[in-house]
Amino acid sequence: MSSAEIYLDYAATAPIDPAVAAAMMECMTREFGNPSSQHAAGKRARALVEAAREAIGARVGAPAERLVFTSGATESNNLALNGVLKRTRGRAVHLVTSRIEHKSVLDVARALNNSGVAVTYVPAAPGGYVEPERVIEAITADTQLVSIMHVNNETGVVQDIAAIGAACRERGVLFHVDAAQSAGKLPLDLTALPVDLCSLTAHKLCGPKGVGALYIAPRTTLLPQLLGGEQERGLRAGTLATPQIVGMGKAYELADPGREAPRLAALRDRLWEALRGISGVRQNGDAGRRAPHVLNVAFPGVEGESLRLALRDLAVSAGSACAADSPEASHVLTGMGLSDTLAGSSLRFSVGRFTRDDEVTAAAAWVANAVARLRGLAKSAPSWCSA
Amino acid sequence: MEYSPAVVRHFDAPNRARELPPGTPGLVSGEAEDRTLHVWVRFELELEAGIVRAAAFQAYGCPHTIAAANVVAEWLEGRRVEAARSLDVRALCAGLEVPVEKLGKLLRIEDAVSACWRTAE
Repeated sequence: MSSAEIYLDYAATAPIDPAVAAAMMECMTREFGNPSSQHAAGKRARALVEAAREAIGARVGAPAERLVFTSGATESNNLALNGVLKRTRGRAVHLVTSRIEHKSVLDVARALNNSGVAVTYVPAAPGGYVEPERVIEAITADTQLVSIMHVNNETGVVQDIAAIGAACRERGVLFHVDAAQSAGKLPLDLTALPVDLCSLTAHKLCGPKGVGALYIAPRTTLLPQLLGGEQERGLRAGTLATPQIVGMGKAYELADPGREAPRLAALRDRLWEALRGISGVRQNGDAGRRAPHVLNVAFPGVEGESLRLALRDLAVSAGSACAADSPEASHVLTGMGLSDTLAGSSLRFSVGRFTRDDEVTAAAAWVANAVARLRGLAKSAPSWCSA
Repeated sequence: MEYSPAVVRHFDAPNRARELPPGTPGLVSGEAEDRTLHVWVRFELELEAGIVRAAAFQAYGCPHTIAAANVVAEWLEGRRVEAARSLDVRALCAGLEVPVEKLGKLLRIEDAVSACWRTAE
């Protein structure tokens, strides 16, 4: 990145921590063995993989042996949904999820629906909160899986996975949680929580891209989606990406929600304090239920694409980075009841480990200037441009 | 979204994005919008002796819309009204390399200018 740029897009991805890079470099340059090989080089690589698995498990409260490495949270979500819902043949199958999930859940749900799986999409309340009662109401005798994300990737709103999971357990329904935005950012104890499947990623946590994991609780069975090897207990074929896994392990070892979360929340709140002086701005998402690192703000009267070009040296997102090429308004924000216009004029700011106070201050000033300039181009604009 | 250098130049410094002083003799204005495309455009023209003496615009829309409106306003200024009425926004803005899916927004610019001519009649 240029020194003239400011990066506030940690919910899309995070810069790699130097300690993570060092661990990966050490692995790449010294331990190239295949962890499935039985010779000494393979065993050393296997030891690195298992050490990483332990570190990740320790961070999320999961026994290491319950973690299966994948290429990231998208693959983990695919494995969880397809692995549960494609294992049953000959009887009706039902999935419950929400309208504000990540595309890697919603697109899988749509594909499953096209192949005969019934899907119920629970709406979010205007604050972006998925009410557990609504999820419970949607469960039927055919429901095999409920999939609800822990922290929404666009608004940062934290869902009550304990309540939803408890309801699922009572009804004998499996519960999947996409924790891509929460693992390492919020305390997570998968052994204590009523969660059967949980998707994890590394790159949101200053780890490498291209690696993630799926937590699979005891007695939860999945149909593998990648065939061609016995790696990961036959659940995910393919040579393990040892350097990435080592990097993920280091990233989870370094992550410390207890220490980092208060700092991130302070940065986020300082940013909001600086932005709230802009007339008409509003936060998207229930501020009382938010993860510490995300702030989503609507700037009425400003067209979103123009705002993003005006702020091209400020790395923020209009929505999910995974949907950034789409001209459609954010499905999360419209799913919370925002108009296409307001959803389009919204920006997601997300802070992280290397965000500095002066960057937050400068970013807020850039945004204020850009909004004022663009509003100045449309002084007589009709009211729909702001509603 | 990738933007051509011309779009960025006009977007960063839209020198005809302004309002002409109210009460200016020969002042006509016109607007057009398309809510589904998230675009609204207003043009003001100062007409004198069959010539567009000044052109100004306001726009709510994407960078291509703002850039194209600025190009059109620059083109209109100093032009004889008969010639200005032949405005073809798509041809005029070819240098902006507007993506095909956005060409509908450019037509709103043409509609706003056409509305100015109707006001003048």
